[in-house]
Amino acid sequence: MGNLPILTLMTFLPLAGALLVMLIHSATGGRGQSGKLVLATGILVSAATFAVSVAAFVAFDPNTAGYQLVEQHAWYGPISYKLGIDGLSLSLVVLTTFLTPICLLASWNSIEKRMTEYVIAFLVLETFMIGVFVALDLVLFYVFFEAGLIPMFLIVGIWGGKDRVYAAFKFFLYTLIGSLLMLVAMVYMILAAGSADVEVLETYSFAPGIQTWLWLAFAASFAVKLPMWPVHTWLPDAHVQAPTAGSVILAGVLLKMGGYGFLRFSLPMFPDASALFQPFMFALAVIAIVYTSLVAWRQTDMKKLIAYSSVAHMGFVTLGIFAFNETGVQGAIFQMLSHGLISGALFLIVGVVYDRMHTREIAAYGGLVNRMPIYASFFMLFTMANVGLPGTSGFVGEILTMVGGFQAATWAAAGAALGVIFSAVYMLTLYRRTVFGEITNPELNGIKDMNLVEWICIAPLAVLTLLFGIAPNLIFNLTDGSTARILSMMARGQ
Amino acid sequence: MLPDSFLIYIVLAPGLAALTGLFHKWIGDRVVMAITTGVVMSAGALSLYQLFAYVAGLASGAAPEHHAGFDAYLTAGTDVASVQLKQHIITLMPWIHVGDFQANWAIRVDTLSIVMMAVITGVSGLVHLYSWGYMSEDPHKARFFSYLSLFTFMMLMLVVADNFIQLFFGWEGVGLASYLLIGFWYTKKAPNDASIKAFVTNRVGDFGLALGIMAVFFVFRSVEFGPVLEAIRTNAIVTPMAFAEALPARESVIVFFGERVYALELIGVLLFIGAMGKSAQFFLHVWLPDAMEGPTPVSALIHAATMVTAGVYLVCLLAPIYEYTFFASGMVALVGAVTALYAATVGMAQNDIKRVIAYSTCSQLGYMFFAAGIGAYEAAMFHLFTHAFFKALLFLGAGSVIHGMHHEQDMRRMGGLAKFMPLTYAAMMIGTIAIIGLGIPHTKLGFSGFFSKDAILESSFAGAMAGVSFAEVAFWFGLLAAFLTSFYSWRLIYMTFHGPAPHAAHDHHGADDHAHADDHHGHDHAHTPHESPAVMLIPLALLSLGAIFAGFYFYDAFVDGQNEAFWAGAIYRDAANHVLHDRHDVPEWVLWAPLVVTVGGFLIATFTYFFNRGVGARVAASGGPLHALFSNKWYFDEIYQATLVRGSAFLGNIFWRADRKIIDGIGPDGMAKLAGLGSRGLSRMHSGYLYHYAFVIIGAAIVFGAVLWLRSGGAN
Repeated sequence: MGNLPILTLMTFLPLAGALLVMLIHSATGGRGQSGKLVLATGILVSAATFAVSVAAFVAFDPNTAGYQLVEQHAWYGPISYKLGIDGLSLSLVVLTTFLTPICLLASWNSIEKRMTEYVIAFLVLETFMIGVFVALDLVLFYVFFEAGLIPMFLIVGIWGGKDRVYAAFKFFLYTLIGSLLMLVAMVYMILAAGSADVEVLETYSFAPGIQTWLWLAFAASFAVKLPMWPVHTWLPDAHVQAPTAGSVILAGVLLKMGGYGFLRFSLPMFPDASALFQPFMFALAVIAIVYTSLVAWRQTDMKKLIAYSSVAHMGFVTLGIFAFNETGVQGAIFQMLSHGLISGALFLIVGVVYDRMHTREIAAYGGLVNRMPIYASFFMLFTMANVGLPGTSGFVGEILTMVGGFQAATWAAAGAALGVIFSAVYMLTLYRRTVFGEITNPELNGIKDMNLVEWICIAPLAVLTLLFGIAPNLIFNLTDGSTARILSMMARGQ
Repeated sequence: MLPDSFLIYIVLAPGLAALTGLFHKWIGDRVVMAITTGVVMSAGALSLYQLFAYVAGLASGAAPEHHAGFDAYLTAGTDVASVQLKQHIITLMPWIHVGDFQANWAIRVDTLSIVMMAVITGVSGLVHLYSWGYMSEDPHKARFFSYLSLFTFMMLMLVVADNFIQLFFGWEGVGLASYLLIGFWYTKKAPNDASIKAFVTNRVGDFGLALGIMAVFFVFRSVEFGPVLEAIRTNAIVTPMAFAEALPARESVIVFFGERVYALELIGVLLFIGAMGKSAQFFLHVWLPDAMEGPTPVSALIHAATMVTAGVYLVCLLAPIYEYTFFASGMVALVGAVTALYAATVGMAQNDIKRVIAYSTCSQLGYMFFAAGIGAYEAAMFHLFTHAFFKALLFLGAGSVIHGMHHEQDMRRMGGLAKFMPLTYAAMMIGTIAIIGLGIPHTKLGFSGFFSKDAILESSFAGAMAGVSFAEVAFWFGLLAAFLTSFYSWRLIYMTFHGPAPHAAHDHHGADDHAHADDHHGHDHAHTPHESPAVMLIPLALLSLGAIFAGFYFYDAFVDGQNEAFWAGAIYRDAANHVLHDRHDVPEWVLWAPLVVTVGGFLIATFTYFFNRGVGARVAASGGPLHALFSNKWYFDEIYQATLVRGSAFLGNIFWRADRKIIDGIGPDGMAKLAGLGSRGLSRMHSGYLYHYAFVIIGAAIVFGAVLWLRSGGAN
């Protein structure tokens, strides 16, 4: 690989693809027929990006804890263009590049209008998402972090459901406040440390009093993203309104930016403040798990139910991160990846029947197993993965974050464990109402089982959910170096 | 005993066989059925061979520490107390390795797992065979057999685990299989409700189990049985993860919810909550009767012989923990005793043949638990072992009745079946005599239940004499339950097989919805009860052999003369725990009391349900409060529905309102109003907000750049 700037290539390949799509669009005169061609191009570009990320994976040495494949160019004063990966960011990057082609493919039959713009939005979004995870400069990170919202707004706002404007507005308002606070904190940090380089900031010791403010400002942004209770209410609306692929990417990748932010910035740079806020974060995590699980149970809209379930599952991430121990942090990283696969798959599962029936109301379904046995099987698999059945990846993340949490605060682990009961309640109820029973809605009589495109989208997620459930060490071997490194920086403050 | 490759086959092959169900469209139902049945039966044959060969090796007179079979295959563990733990672990592959948290996929072979493997694969093989007849007309045979094999695999993974995490895998895995099989007829409401209830109730138990495992890891820094139990056996100094001091394992403390508690007590109680869920003990028993909505072979395999005994297995496996606790072991004994009695009272007043047997299972599990709770772990395992035979026999016999009665389950509509199905009748009689534990003290004349149940009752009395907490309660509750067991078991026999036959005008109902096996009888007598086909009778015959002889044959090994050599350290007892041995010193009346109450129960049942058939019905109809309490299962379902279910739903609704009214009301919606952005204004500017956002970002970046530029020297 030598001097090939593999990270830059990986980050900007989708952006280049977006330009290509534009060219194709104008070359074909923007007529309707170009839709599938454009989409196919998008899929190929994102698949190529995935291939590059695999190359980065191959070039990555899991036995080295620090950042690798680093590219650095001076940019402006203390700001530089600096990219690099460790196990944490690499695993999230591969998750992103893996999910994006699936999202585009899942749009094959479901997106009808403005295909070119849609594909462009997704490819641009992919660049920004990868950028977030590989940026090793505060400003660069901020640019990617914020810019990523724009294509996401567009995806929800243009291709979304009938209340898309309200949803996008909510998303905007929450995120804006968090971002502004984070920006202010970043300015202060760069001025104080004289550098925006993440590696420099990791070694810089902010005074404990200052740390508290900086931590709060960063947390405002990351908590909204994760999302944590009580700043989670944008998520159900955004999910419900977003098209299927938008929900997949939102749940699969965008939420992970919050967890990533805590691990990359809050813990290493503000160790004292992180320790100070540990009980607070535990409380919010437990509330998120119990509260949103109960709310999920009361939902009548399939997507809303899964969205609330996402909030609950991200509560485990918070719990694990703020346990400040190896089991907790490894579990949190694993839970992020696992949730990316499982919730992505669940949104695809909902999308399958939405495309056929154009309703997300649970009450409109029932008895699907009689017509769609293969669909029912996949749905069962992901239901069980979502309730954390051992043997699926969902279990590994939940048990490790709870084991980690138990070491820090028994009450937090016990509270989180309640979520394990409730998740069974809402998921099994959902499954039973939609899939089991007799067909009562006559419109369901002619419903078809999963088609080839849906197979191709969902089957890989199923395979990985099981693979990581049975052999999670594949991930842990990748992330243990960065976990140890983050924890050692965390320990420096105490 | 067996070579590694055979052991791996026994454990993994059923799992692979289950996967063939995915391909039934291409290979056909018959192939799936043949593969699953063949694999599980062959695994059963191997496991039984292993158990018999092992016991035979003991009897051949080799010195206890050097019985031929064991030393060849089992590596010796460390010295513990008086008996060496003989254990052989095959590590298949690593599973979760994070720091000290090391869990592997493994197969642990010791006497406990050898016994459990034999029970699981033996009964499962017969149930597979039986299902060829019972499910013959079901359109989803491949799915059924696939689930059965999946269950077998998960249960095996549970009992051969060498760490808590794999145990948890099997534990939840059998829960999944149970859920799928209870709800096997998924278009019907009742099975769906029951399956969710079973899964969720088990999850309540698993909440405790998971917390217990966390506490184990916290204290011992390991999730593997080896190091954890070793530390307790040797009372090694352990240093918990945080905020607790280094202390000997048995005195270690942990801060739980701000309280300093003894670690072993906490772990013992939490893990037992898991066992209560899985084994349907008092408070968490509510799912088991409803689980009878599943096909009857499932009830026999999962909800009688194997899965529900997992909790007992867990307590016996973790005997070192319960040996050194006071509250936790007392809780095990008390909950077990209460369940034994409670379930028996409810069993008396049920009219559904499967529910009677379900409550009977619940009650017998109670016996196993209080035996373990007072320290007679071997007796608990022995009862688990014999119970598997006679309870599977009773369930499969009941299945044969239901099959012969064209899916009728209500005993009030049965009667006089003995002449229609004599072989089923014979099997049910054997099962009944076995479960009531008929046998003559001081001799070895008795059915299998006699050996195990009396061992438990006598041990409890010995425990009471030694001052073991709750042992006396356990003895009396157990004795009373034995009386009730005899009564309800004979009541079942009389209502089903004797008296007049009211089934001439029969209509089809009952939850068991398997289509009827028309190839085994003509349409002309489709409404007359008939004997079941041979494929169903052969399992009954084999289980009958077990119900008669298992107690006699294995008594010495499990609980008497050879028990130390037999268990080879797999069940740990403290040197001061003699309850099992002291049962030989109990007063003479204690030996005879079970026989007396059993005969008493038999006589009362005979008078009320055989000679005067109307008496039982009149008592039921008179509507006494006690009968109402029993027949309504002490109103547990109603109480849980009114408190836990309604309460959670209420909270869920409140939280959801809070989300919309409070959080959104103060947050985004409130801000929108404040900023004068009503919904009308919003919809007008819906393409504008992006610009606002971009403007903010760009503006901020400019300010930011300017500040940096000025600070870094500006124009200078």
